Amino acid sequence: MTQKIDKIPELPKGSFERITLDAHQAERITKPSVSFWQDAWYRIRKNKGALFSIVLFGLIVIMAFLGPVISPYAPNAQTITHANLPPKIPVIEKLGILDGVGTLGGKEVDLYEMKNVEVNYWFGTDGLGRDMFSRVWKGTQVSLFIAFVAAAIDMLIGVIYGGISGYFGGRVDDFMQRVVEILTGIPNLVVVILFILIMDPGILAIIIALTITGWTGMSRVVRGQVLKYKSQEFVLAARTLGASDTRIIWKHLMPNVLGVIIINTMFTIPSAIFFEAFLSFIGLGLQAPDASLGTLINDGYALIQFAPHILAFPAILLSLIMIAFNLIGDGLRDALDPKMKD
Amino acid sequence: MGKYIGKRLIYMVITLALIATFTFFLMNVLPGSPIASADKLTPDQRAVVEARYGLDKPLPVQYFDYMFGLVQGDLGISINQFKGADVTDVILSRMGPSAQIGFQGMLIGTVLGILLGMVAALRQNTWMDYTSTFIAIVGISIPSFVFASLLQYWFGLKWELFPVALWKDGFMSSVLPSIALAMFPLATAARFIRTEMIEVLGSDYITLAKAKGASGSEIAFKHAFRNALIPLITVLGPMAVSILTGSLVVEQIFAIPGIGEQFVKSIMVSDFSIIMGTTIFFSVFLIVIILLVDILYGVIDPRIRLSGGKS
Amino acid sequence: MKNSKIFWLLSLVLVLSAFLAACGGGDNADTGTETTDEKEGTETAGDLDSVQELNLMESAEIPTMDSAIAEDTVAFNILNNVNEGLFRLDQENIAIPALAEGEPEVSEDGLTYTFKLRDANWSDGTPVTAEDFVFSWQRAIDPATGSPYGPYMMSGTILNATAISEGSMDKAELGVKAIDEKTLEVKLERPVPYFMSLMAFGTFYPQNEAFVTEKGDAYASNSDNLLFNGPFTLTDWDGTGLTWKMQKNPEYWDAETVKLETINVDVVKEPATSVNLYNSGEKDQAILSGEFALQYGDNEEVVTDLEPTVFYLKFNQEREGAATALKNVNIRKAIATAFNKQDLADVVLANGSLPANFLVPTEFTFDESKKDFREVNGDMLEFNAEEAKKLWAKGLEEEGLTEVTLELLGGDTETAKNMDAYLKDQLETNLEGLTVNLKAVPFAVRLELDEAQDYDIQTSGWGPDYQDPMTFIDLFVTGSSHNLMSYSNEEFDKLVESAKAELAQDPAARWEAMAKAEKILLEDDAAIAPIYQRGEKALQKPYVNGIIKHPFGGEYSYKWASISGKE
Repeated sequence: MTQKIDKIPELPKGSFERITLDAHQAERITKPSVSFWQDAWYRIRKNKGALFSIVLFGLIVIMAFLGPVISPYAPNAQTITHANLPPKIPVIEKLGILDGVGTLGGKEVDLYEMKNVEVNYWFGTDGLGRDMFSRVWKGTQVSLFIAFVAAAIDMLIGVIYGGISGYFGGRVDDFMQRVVEILTGIPNLVVVILFILIMDPGILAIIIALTITGWTGMSRVVRGQVLKYKSQEFVLAARTLGASDTRIIWKHLMPNVLGVIIINTMFTIPSAIFFEAFLSFIGLGLQAPDASLGTLINDGYALIQFAPHILAFPAILLSLIMIAFNLIGDGLRDALDPKMKD
Repeated sequence: MGKYIGKRLIYMVITLALIATFTFFLMNVLPGSPIASADKLTPDQRAVVEARYGLDKPLPVQYFDYMFGLVQGDLGISINQFKGADVTDVILSRMGPSAQIGFQGMLIGTVLGILLGMVAALRQNTWMDYTSTFIAIVGISIPSFVFASLLQYWFGLKWELFPVALWKDGFMSSVLPSIALAMFPLATAARFIRTEMIEVLGSDYITLAKAKGASGSEIAFKHAFRNALIPLITVLGPMAVSILTGSLVVEQIFAIPGIGEQFVKSIMVSDFSIIMGTTIFFSVFLIVIILLVDILYGVIDPRIRLSGGKS
Repeated sequence: MKNSKIFWLLSLVLVLSAFLAACGGGDNADTGTETTDEKEGTETAGDLDSVQELNLMESAEIPTMDSAIAEDTVAFNILNNVNEGLFRLDQENIAIPALAEGEPEVSEDGLTYTFKLRDANWSDGTPVTAEDFVFSWQRAIDPATGSPYGPYMMSGTILNATAISEGSMDKAELGVKAIDEKTLEVKLERPVPYFMSLMAFGTFYPQNEAFVTEKGDAYASNSDNLLFNGPFTLTDWDGTGLTWKMQKNPEYWDAETVKLETINVDVVKEPATSVNLYNSGEKDQAILSGEFALQYGDNEEVVTDLEPTVFYLKFNQEREGAATALKNVNIRKAIATAFNKQDLADVVLANGSLPANFLVPTEFTFDESKKDFREVNGDMLEFNAEEAKKLWAKGLEEEGLTEVTLELLGGDTETAKNMDAYLKDQLETNLEGLTVNLKAVPFAVRLELDEAQDYDIQTSGWGPDYQDPMTFIDLFVTGSSHNLMSYSNEEFDKLVESAKAELAQDPAARWEAMAKAEKILLEDDAAIAPIYQRGEKALQKPYVNGIIKHPFGGEYSYKWASISGKE
């Protein structure tokens, strides 16, 4: 601004071309057409936290499947003579950490040497001599499975329920909302516990219990969005042009509601993982010998002073997953929220 | 407004009746025998014990007995956990400690959360922002039982700042459990306030206030903070739920005579009347919170018209 | 910049979690060293401290303090310390006369016992009379009371108890009578050799009729609505709370033996918390459950006890009306011998438990020459993987099967879950073609599944209610309420019956019959597969002396306990 322009430099002739006004060009959109997803991707790429989380989460997922395979031990295989060994990783052990040294009777000893163990357990072993490395990744797999399936079911029911309720409105909406009100009135904790007790304990029971009231949150959000958009002009226009309900829902409402649905799902997944961990604490978790991050943490936390590795690895992994999901969720919210568009 | 509240109250009663019905029948498909030494009795003897607690009556009779009692505030008697004790008395006697740590946890959580959120928003993208974001995320990333036992180990056993556990030293006993419960509200409030305030700070009226020469603190408190605070009310519901859930874990770890730890026990021993009573109690709590949030929201933010207001 | 923020954040989380977890690591070492100097105090036991206060923990609330309807360990434990029956277990766990003045007079046929009562008072100063016994016994068996332990303890023992408990006879017909204020006459249905140890059990404690009637429904609802006649009185118990106290009872007839003035009890359900409370010095004793037994295994303050509780696998031979593979005796034997019990006890449980190759526990019952019942039968169904494989192959062939899938129903405690996971692994490794599915449920649910006989294999445990092998052996007679697995062996039933009836007065022959029955049950039929006899490790401060642990009835006696060397 402070720079003064003394004189306009002379421009070579031929730099300019005279154009005539063309009515056809007036409405031309110069910016390339960007689809919903492209736009979202473009913006999430700018959010380094979310991007990093996506990569991190991708790695965790890969390890969840690869971990149990690359470990020489099956997640449930017991070698009772190798019980409660601390972690030992070949190269890193030279640094004085993860070198198989643990306390026994108040003294620091190399437990591997003492118990004559030739092999290495990267994450150590638990009380039954099971390899924690393969158990932790298997547990991650199970936790993620529970969370994803629960979130998917929540999404499905929630979207359909909320969509119908919001779109048709009136009495249908009134009735459907009363039902939701009742369901949200029962603390979900109680519902989950009761359903787990009724069903045969296991992964399926936990998923069903988590979803039995879990979808109400999603349905509320979807209903709110549908209510908001259905009275807007573009829907009215579509209706006037004779579009069917199905077409309006799929072509006009859904794309607008999609962002909210995805964000909501992103936050259901970590809370499902968390709830599963909570269930393990009160003794209603998975059936042994299956493990999830929740049951592993629950097993480990009693041993925190004696064999901290049993708690540390699943706890760190759980924290990482939670952090990743929350950051991805935050990032997606920013990316998909139309208000944030510049 | 009055009409709206009246309508909501009626819905509340209907909701509660349905919840009671639902839990009652659920309870009857629930596995488990409420008689602890059932394996020591002959079928005839077992039948005698069951008759003592009215478990021999036909289901519809039991149901109407129960609903009739419920209307009068009678939740039946405990079969196993506190043999013969009134469930209402059990819940009332356990309410105090739960209410105290729940309230304190909520208070600590929201106040600290709001502060953290504000600092983060006002000093966006500085180390303060990152620290508060970090605290908020850690708060929701560590399972409450791990967090509670770490608190107990360090602040109780090692540094001897607070009692390790038990409900003996009044307020001091409630500090660690309250902090353990505060983590979720803290994280939620911090994130929420941060997002809201950033949005508000970017809005036109703030620009206008700035243009008119309002001071930084005036803008932060008078304009931004107030407006960011309103939506926080909407997450009070989920926070209350988290306090409920958390109380199960925290009360058990700190050996606090609250409802949460008693509820876990009643499930384990299949004491149906206590499970049912506690469920209904929790539901009342939750429904009242939801109602309060709705009413409060309507009072504070005039832009929001309650849906019932039209009629 | 945002990128570095995340790295910073993540590494902090990692460091923090690792730090918090690892820091816990080195710490249990110092609890051991701290205490060595305190240990001196024990040697000078006898110099009692001026403050006689004991701080204890319980793992559950008191469900009731009404001795007639009590059925759980917490209640029986407290009852044993605040009340007293005709007999009491002494420091050697032998039933000695308590409220009874000396041994009772027993009739020739062993069916009538006449007890003389000593002069003793309730805590309100009124005397304990024979009527108090009649009242409480009748109350315990009365169907209107709905007591589970009344019928369980009295049926088949006290005259007419069975008929009364089923409602077909009036409670006044019960075989107990007050001859005068201080004389009690008890009539039995059959001779009961272990009758004295029964008399130490909570269900047979007296209750003051006037007091109970006056309080009505409020009786035993809190510590103010109770009367005591034992070494201590219960105070500060509100009926539903997690805390109570026991204070020395000045009215107790043997009050001069009692050293402790106060016992402060708090309920702590979380094992980690109880250990922390012990380490903080707030509590004087902490039971080490599950992992903590392992963690503190070599701590100097650890006290290990062997309990007479045996855990075993119940093989259900008929599920939902259809015979299971477990109907085959070779399959049962194969499973019973295919898991390493020694490793289980030493590594998985690590709490002082013993591998069990028997049903009647060791160090529990002795014959007249003080010889352990175990010495008669020795070990049965020992771990032998090779033999098990052969039996398994044979069994499968007999049944025409190649693969078997069985459900293993077990408890939901950490210990139970670990044990079941271990059993699954052992069985599946050693027995080819066997798949074991685990199902862990709370105790109350397991009872119901047991009742419906809805399981294949169940891990089950039994602790005695009186001091006789019979408390274990008669569990498995045909039609017993514990034998919900369709096991039936005529010879076994006959032996048990004869031990109960005609051999009751002939200790040697009776002993023989019971030993033979146990052999049939395990060695011949493998109806059940013993796993381990439970041990318990507890941390106990060295200044605590004289807490007696009992094998049955109330778990502990504090009557002889004292504090010396704490100050």
